[in-house]
Amino acid sequence: MIHPLLPDQLQKTQETMRMAAEFILRPISRKYDKAEHEPPIEMEQLNQAAAAQKKETGVGEDSVKSMDLTGRNLWAVISLEQMCWGDVGLFLARPGTGLGNAAIMAVGNKDQKAKWGKRWAAMAITEPAAGSDSKNISTTAVLDGDEWVIDGEKIYVTDGDRSDCVVVWATLNKSMGKTAIRSFLVEKGTPGFTVARLEKKLGIRASDTATLIFDNCRIPRENLLGGKEEIETDIDAAKKSFGGAMQTFDNTRPMVAGMAIGLGQAALDMTRALLAEEGYEDKFGGSMHQQTAVQYELEMLEAELEAARLLVYKSAWMMDNKMPNSKEASMGKAKAGRIGNRISLKCVEICSMQGFSEEHLLEKFSRDSKILDIFEGTQQIQQLIVARQVLGKSSSDLK
Amino acid sequence: MQDYTTDHPFDISLSEEQQMTWDMLRKFAETELRPNARDAENAGKPSEELLQKIKALDLIPLIIPEAYGGLGLQQDSVSNALALEALAYGDMSLAMSVSVPLLVAQIIAEHASEEQKAEFLPEFVNGSMFHIGLGINNATFSTDPYQSSVLAEESGEDIILNGSKMGIAFGEHAKTYLISASDESGACDLYFVSKDQKGVELSKTEYMGLKGMPFSKINLSNCKINASQKLGGHNYSIDFKSLVDSSRIGMSALALGVCQAVLDYVVPYTNERVAFDEPISNRQSVAFMIADMAIETEALRLMVYKSAALKDLNVDFHKQASLTHRFASHHGMKIGTDGVQLLGGHGFTHEHPVELWYRNLRAVGIFEAGAGV
Repeated sequence: MIHPLLPDQLQKTQETMRMAAEFILRPISRKYDKAEHEPPIEMEQLNQAAAAQKKETGVGEDSVKSMDLTGRNLWAVISLEQMCWGDVGLFLARPGTGLGNAAIMAVGNKDQKAKWGKRWAAMAITEPAAGSDSKNISTTAVLDGDEWVIDGEKIYVTDGDRSDCVVVWATLNKSMGKTAIRSFLVEKGTPGFTVARLEKKLGIRASDTATLIFDNCRIPRENLLGGKEEIETDIDAAKKSFGGAMQTFDNTRPMVAGMAIGLGQAALDMTRALLAEEGYEDKFGGSMHQQTAVQYELEMLEAELEAARLLVYKSAWMMDNKMPNSKEASMGKAKAGRIGNRISLKCVEICSMQGFSEEHLLEKFSRDSKILDIFEGTQQIQQLIVARQVLGKSSSDLK
Repeated sequence: MQDYTTDHPFDISLSEEQQMTWDMLRKFAETELRPNARDAENAGKPSEELLQKIKALDLIPLIIPEAYGGLGLQQDSVSNALALEALAYGDMSLAMSVSVPLLVAQIIAEHASEEQKAEFLPEFVNGSMFHIGLGINNATFSTDPYQSSVLAEESGEDIILNGSKMGIAFGEHAKTYLISASDESGACDLYFVSKDQKGVELSKTEYMGLKGMPFSKINLSNCKINASQKLGGHNYSIDFKSLVDSSRIGMSALALGVCQAVLDYVVPYTNERVAFDEPISNRQSVAFMIADMAIETEALRLMVYKSAALKDLNVDFHKQASLTHRFASHHGMKIGTDGVQLLGGHGFTHEHPVELWYRNLRAVGIFEAGAGV
C-alpha cells in the first residue's frame, strides 16, 4: 500500500536525534568551525545518544524490511538527517564510523567483518590525478609472498587522520583498467603508511581531511577486501568485480543525500526564525499575487527539499527491501546535493547582512553544503548514472 | 515534527487492488486516449464514441451512493491520484473530461443536502456526465485562490451573485452550474445556479491548451438565487480551502501523468535520432536534461502520493498539497519545455505530441479544480 509517511516509531527517532543535534552539536558548531583540525571531544555523547535510540527502536545489525517498521537504512537516513540538521562537519567527525566501515560491511568476508567491523575505518579512493574517474587510480598493490605491498598517494580522505584503519583502493595492474582494482585494509601504524598533511577547507572544518602516503607499505595477504587476488580475464566476471566495489556507493549515497536534507532543513528553519523576529509569516498555497517574494521563494525551496527528501527515503527503503537501488540512490543524491546547496546559499541572501555574518550559522551552512554536492559522487556523476540507466546506455556510449 | 501519527510502515508499493486499477486505466490511456488526443483537440471535444468508452469506465457511478443508483464505494485519495496519473498519461484534456465531472460528483455526494443529492446525483449514472458545470476558476488574477471572484450578498431569503468565472469544462453541455462565491465575511461557498436563471450569461472561451474539451466563461450580474441553492443548504458551509487543496493534488497527479509521457517519449527519440554520427543521447547536454526529467518526475510522483496519503489520514494536508502543487507547476512546465527542446524543430510541429503536452502543462498551477482526490 502506498504510504510514504513515517510510522510513529521513526518519528520518535527523528525527535530524539533532533534533540541530540540541538543540545550537543549546535552549541559547539562555531567552535570547531574555527578550530579546524582539533578533534571534537564532545562527540562521544552523540554516539551514545544514537546507540541508545537504535536500541530503543529495535533496529538490528542486519537489514530488516521496512515492512517491519524498523528498516535499518531508512532508520539510518532519518537519524543522520537530524544529526546533520545540527552540524554536518561534526557529524562527519564523530568517532567510530567512517565510509570505510560501509565498504567493510558491503564487500568484506565474515572474518573481515568480525575483525574490523567495529573499528573506525576511513575510505581512500581519490588521488591527485584521479577523482571521479576512480578506475584510473595509480596506487599499486603487488603480492609479495604472503604480503601485499602498497605504493601511492591518496588525498581527501575523510577521517584519514583520526580513524583506526583505512580502506585503500589500489590497482593490481594499471594497464588492465577497472578490472584490476581492489580494495585493501591498512591499519594505522603499519610501517610505510603516513599521514602527510590535513587540508584547510571551505566548510565541514570539524571533519579531518587527510593526504595519505603509502611507501613500500606491507600488509597481510588476508587484508584484501572482497574480490580475487587474480585479475579476471572473463569480461563479465571482471565487470562484476569492479561493479561490486562501486555498489558500496548505492548504500552510502542515500546517507550523504540525507546529510544534505538535514542541512537544508536547518537553513530553512534558521531563516524562518530570523525572519519571524521582523514579523515574517509563511503563506503556503497563496498565489504569486498574494505572496511576498520571500514567501514565494521559501515555499519553492521547501517544496524542492521535500521532493529530495522523499527520493532519498525511497532509495533507503529500497535498500531495506533488497531492491536494486542504484538509479534511485543517484537520483536522491543528485537532487539533495544541489538543493541543499541552493537552499543554504539562498537563505544567506534572504537574511542579508545577518545571513552573511558569523553571528549566525547560515553562512556556515552555506559553506558546509558545497561538499555534499561533490563527495560520494559529484552532481554530474549522479546525472551520468541516472542518464545511463534511463537511456539504457553503457559508459562507453554515454561518456 | 510531523502532525500525523501512524503505525503503518513507510511503503511505496501499490496494493494488489491499486495495481489492478492502475494496469486497466494505464492501458485505456495508451490504447484509447493517446491515439485520440489530436482528434479531440481538433474537434474541440472528444468524439461521442470515445465519451461512451470513458463513461463505461464507471469511475463516477463507483462513488455515487447506492440510493442514487451508484455503487457507493469510498475511494481513498491515493487510489484517486493513481487513477488520474494513469489517465493523464494518455492525454490531459481527455483525462479531465472524466476527472472534472468526477470531482463534481464527489463534491455533491459529500456536501449536498438530501434534496440536492436527489436532484443531481442520479443523472451521473443514467444521463450525461456534464449536466453540472463547475465554476471555481477565478476570472481575476489578483483574487486569493481560496476565495472567489464572484461575490455573494445575502438579501433576506435570497442570495445575489455578481462576478465572473472562467474555465468551466463542458459548460455548454450543462444545465446547472456549481459556482464558488465569497461573502462579506470572507467565507467561500458553492452555489447551484441554473442556466436559465436571470443574470446568467455564458460564452465560449478557447485556451492555449486543454483543447480536447470545450470551456465556458460565465458572467453573473445581479443573479438572484434562493438561499436553498447554496451547496448543502442555507446553513451549510463547505471547507473550501480543503476542496482547493484536494483539487491541487489532483491537478498535480494529472501533471505527473503528462511528465511521465514526455519522459517516455524523449528516451526512444533521442536514442534513435542521429546527429554528428551518433545518437544525440550520447551527449551529456542531452542526456543530463533527460536525467533531470527522470529525477523531477519521480520526485513529483512521491510528492503526489504523500499529499494524498496525508489526506487519507484525515490530518491537515494544506502545506503538503501547496508544496506539491508548486512543485508540479514549476517542474511540470520545465519538463514540458525540455520535451520540445529535445526534439528540436520536430518538437515544434504537430508531427509529435510534445508541443501538445507543452501547452497542456502550462495549465498546471493556473487551472484549479480540474480533478480531485
